[in-house]
Amino acid sequence: MVDQVGNSEELPRRKFIKQCVVAGVTLYTAPLVLSLNEAVAQASNSSQVLGYKAPKFRLDGIAKVTGQKVYGRDFRAQDMAGWPKEQAYGFVIRATKVDHTFSHVDLTDIPENAQPFKVILAEDLVKQKLELPPFFGNDMLVAKNAAPQYYGHAVAILLFENFDQFKEAKLKLQFNDNVVRYGKSTKPFTSNPYAAWRIVREEGKQGASGKDKYSPLQDGLFFPSYQRRMPVWKGDPNQAGSVSERGLYYGNEVQQKMQKNADDWLIIDEQYTSQSVDPMMMEPEAFNGFWEEATKTLHVVATSQSPHDYQEQVAEILAHSKMGHSIKNIVVHSAYVGGAFGAKDHSIFPYYGTIAALFSEGRPLYLANDRFEQFQAGLKRHPFIMDNKLAFDKKTGQLQGLHSKMNLDGGGRSNFSSAIAMVGASAIQGIYYLPRNDIQATAHQSNNVDCGSMRGFGTLQTMSSMEMMLNEAAQKLDMDPIELREKNIMKTGFRNTQGAIPNGELRYGEILEKAKQHTMWTQRAARKQEFEKNNPHMLFGTGFGIATKDYGTGAAAPSSAVRISPEGKIELDIVFMEMGTGTQTSQAVSVGKFLGSTAHQVNLAKMDSWAALKQFQTDNPYITSQARQDEMAQNPQWTPVVAMASSASMSSYFQTHTSHGAARVLYRYGLWPAAQHIWSGSTEKVANKRISFKDIELAKWKDEMLTMPGKPSLPLAQLAAKAHELGLVTGVMTHAFNRWSWADAQFSILGNKETLELDGLALQYGNGADKRRKNLMKSHGYHLINRQKMNYPATAMNNAMVTYYAPCATLVDVAVNKGNGKVAVVKTHSWLDCGTPLVSKLVEGQIEGGVAMGIGHALFEELPLGEEGPGTGQWNLNRYDLAKGKDVGVWQHTHTLLEPLNENTPSKGIGEVVMIPVVPAIAEAVYQATNVRFRSLPITAKKVKEALQS
Amino acid sequence: MSQTINMNINGQQIGPVEVSDHTMMIEFLHEKLNLTGTKFGCGAGVCHACVVLVDNEDGTTSVERSCISGAGYFDGKKVRTVEGHAKTNEQGEVSELSPVQQAFLEHYSFQCGWCTSGFVNTATALVEKLAKNPINKDQVEKTVEDALQDNICRCTGYVKYYQAVKELILKTPGLTV
Repeated sequence: MVDQVGNSEELPRRKFIKQCVVAGVTLYTAPLVLSLNEAVAQASNSSQVLGYKAPKFRLDGIAKVTGQKVYGRDFRAQDMAGWPKEQAYGFVIRATKVDHTFSHVDLTDIPENAQPFKVILAEDLVKQKLELPPFFGNDMLVAKNAAPQYYGHAVAILLFENFDQFKEAKLKLQFNDNVVRYGKSTKPFTSNPYAAWRIVREEGKQGASGKDKYSPLQDGLFFPSYQRRMPVWKGDPNQAGSVSERGLYYGNEVQQKMQKNADDWLIIDEQYTSQSVDPMMMEPEAFNGFWEEATKTLHVVATSQSPHDYQEQVAEILAHSKMGHSIKNIVVHSAYVGGAFGAKDHSIFPYYGTIAALFSEGRPLYLANDRFEQFQAGLKRHPFIMDNKLAFDKKTGQLQGLHSKMNLDGGGRSNFSSAIAMVGASAIQGIYYLPRNDIQATAHQSNNVDCGSMRGFGTLQTMSSMEMMLNEAAQKLDMDPIELREKNIMKTGFRNTQGAIPNGELRYGEILEKAKQHTMWTQRAARKQEFEKNNPHMLFGTGFGIATKDYGTGAAAPSSAVRISPEGKIELDIVFMEMGTGTQTSQAVSVGKFLGSTAHQVNLAKMDSWAALKQFQTDNPYITSQARQDEMAQNPQWTPVVAMASSASMSSYFQTHTSHGAARVLYRYGLWPAAQHIWSGSTEKVANKRISFKDIELAKWKDEMLTMPGKPSLPLAQLAAKAHELGLVTGVMTHAFNRWSWADAQFSILGNKETLELDGLALQYGNGADKRRKNLMKSHGYHLINRQKMNYPATAMNNAMVTYYAPCATLVDVAVNKGNGKVAVVKTHSWLDCGTPLVSKLVEGQIEGGVAMGIGHALFEELPLGEEGPGTGQWNLNRYDLAKGKDVGVWQHTHTLLEPLNENTPSKGIGEVVMIPVVPAIAEAVYQATNVRFRSLPITAKKVKEALQS
Repeated sequence: MSQTINMNINGQQIGPVEVSDHTMMIEFLHEKLNLTGTKFGCGAGVCHACVVLVDNEDGTTSVERSCISGAGYFDGKKVRTVEGHAKTNEQGEVSELSPVQQAFLEHYSFQCGWCTSGFVNTATALVEKLAKNPINKDQVEKTVEDALQDNICRCTGYVKYYQAVKELILKTPGLTV
């Protein structure tokens, strides 16, 4: 067994930063891109934003535009200090059949001089008791005489001493049907669905905002049993029965009311399908690992959105293996991620790399997917089949109810399929208020490549279907599509399909009003006429779509740490990884609100320093009971979740919360009292007096100076120096927890009691602090503040599923070629409520990129399932079309960011919503052009051509 | 089979060095020279993340896909990769970006940045071509579209790349007439 915490075999290298100990293995981080923060100085030469300087360009910009090594895939053994220079290479052999058992791998086609030095098979893993983390399931490698469970299921990992041998062998192995040898034929593997959800709600007598007759938030959730791989919702519908009986009763009511009111209601009763899609992030997954025997340390460079989850999981699986006794430390070297879109969030890939490195006999081992392999084994977006019934009152256009049965294909491993089914189901309502709903979503196992948390998290599929129904209903009701939407929007204070009331001001009406007045909309008929007159071989159409995407997980747990030097240099640590969305840049900007300057250094994917908070978690935050939470919350170090993964739409709101929280405390208990001290002309050497916040609202930052009416303006550097001299707060570490509202607690800071939306706080005091204060900084250099009156959001909020939303709408013009059916996007305009943008250029980039990805989803991207699909290793960009520059209307791509409601409006997570509305908008525009409704995505030229010909 | 090759990369003479006939140029750059700024995207010549520039003897510049071109193809050639565009000081730090790099930086053209080296090379070839053969201002958008049409970007929607190149062409004397 491995030693416990505090053993004497800790890694001697001081450059690694100790993070924590998991299962007896000490975890360290070592940022590969730390030096890039020098770029901040160059980037800060720019315009004024909100009184402080915003970067002129991305903080990672110079490194990226000059081709420096900053991505995980870039690093080879020779780049890594302390590693042997010779690099070994790995190759994963994958099964391409699921209807035969696996027999063995035949390597006779590889020349003698290029044979692998090690072939890792399932039996090797069994011998060492090496298993996947439970999240991924079993059978990392297919055992001999067992059936592969899905196309692309790995059967062996081959290790080669050098690149030339690897390349020589790969040329013989890849696309070679004789390498994987199969045994007897067998039925493809099947199992019960990964999950099934049912969201039933019936509004009560008080209407949209009042008490519901039934809803998940109010009554709880109920779950099915399974028969023949389908959910069976057993029980007797009973209005006065148990949660499930009442749920069945009100679920049945939805359909019965539709039947009863068939004459008065318009029912859109159609099937909508959404295809399998590859995230196609530009950097394929890669891994480099070195098992250092002498120090019993595993060093890793990985391309991951969730490096700390990977690190902890690896520690667990190694600790429980026979190798556990020889593993003491794991060092994860973090780097930038070259695109992800969910593909690198809880991907199984790094675990194959880990195993390869452990068997590599002391050689650094590089495992990197080429694009065929990435298509073959990388996470996909779930294909959905949705049978929807949406009811409108024919006279008023008012929505009456929704019944939906959605089935999604999760592929061969469950990954996030359960959560995606739940989120997709809870999102289908879009921006509309529904008085009743019965939404059923089942995530199925299949033999296809596994699906994960790709951009949209299920909502792209479901919300697009809702918008397509709205557009069709408007036509059938003979109403303007935007006016029909206006009649049905969810207003602030209304309940969603789960019975929860969304947070914040819902600005759907404002967006619809702006869209209705846009010339693309008001002049669409005239423009169609003119375009088709000038282009007789083309058809023209304009379509509209609007979506509101939830952001958040219901268990968000960000951390930040802000420190200021005596020279006024601000350093910020965050947990998030830079995936390209600009997190590093926007977080640097975020602290300026309180500190008057962009952070001068931002350290990404930090895991180490949080140890100062000494926090631990014990339970699954989604299913823990209120009593358990209440009990555990008594311990001031307990938190529902210690750390979170970087994923789309999460940094701007959640990470900013703790960055703001830390910067605010630093301002109020460091810079502000320093300013008061200077303004008062005090000559005292210490600042033990109670801090007065009487005039704090009058102080404003301008040009990195703190200004106050009637007082001299004070430069940030002067304030920082004074704060240090007086021993005030100069460093703040924060941790928060959000379950659709923030946990709060009372903290005592320099004698002041303050309730903050945090559940962890630690402080550093300036260089001039007296001995007493310095002695308090015993927790990894911080003074850990014990919280009081801890107040976590109620566990019942788990039933709310989601309550944070950001809306986006898009108008699109398309031109359809009558001859070949090709649809071209001519022009788009989008409206987005992003709250307060941290860096507008980054938000614009998200819109533009989202629209392009949405266009790809609507028109081009599609992977077949089964043996024609990517799991057989035959797919690449020569067959997989996505949107290129000529496909996105690049010169006519405009947008409007809604003005924040006030200066305290938080930033919203918008990385996902921006790609959604363009999808149904294109479907509608194609209908307006061709008079044909397409309900199955993508709307390929072939489909359109066939429809036009028929 | 293998062959011995020489080439000039970013002004540095490389070789003679023996490489396998199967070694692609991108593999030669990554695994033999440790130049990883050129990015592997598809390995099938589609996405153009991997393109490098070859300065031909006749004064023209070719944009070549390094993922489907063998290293041997570049024998005797003068090659520029993304690492060779910016000026550096004695410490090896970037002191001045190329105009294309500067334009991409200031326009926030890229996000994850994996496709950026390909865009830098393709746009650089275009700008240099226009310096020799200027175009009318009303042809700029079409020219940019044609030049960049094969470069795939998954993050940005292309808008800020195209705008950056357009603006650079319009503001640089001698590229338009």
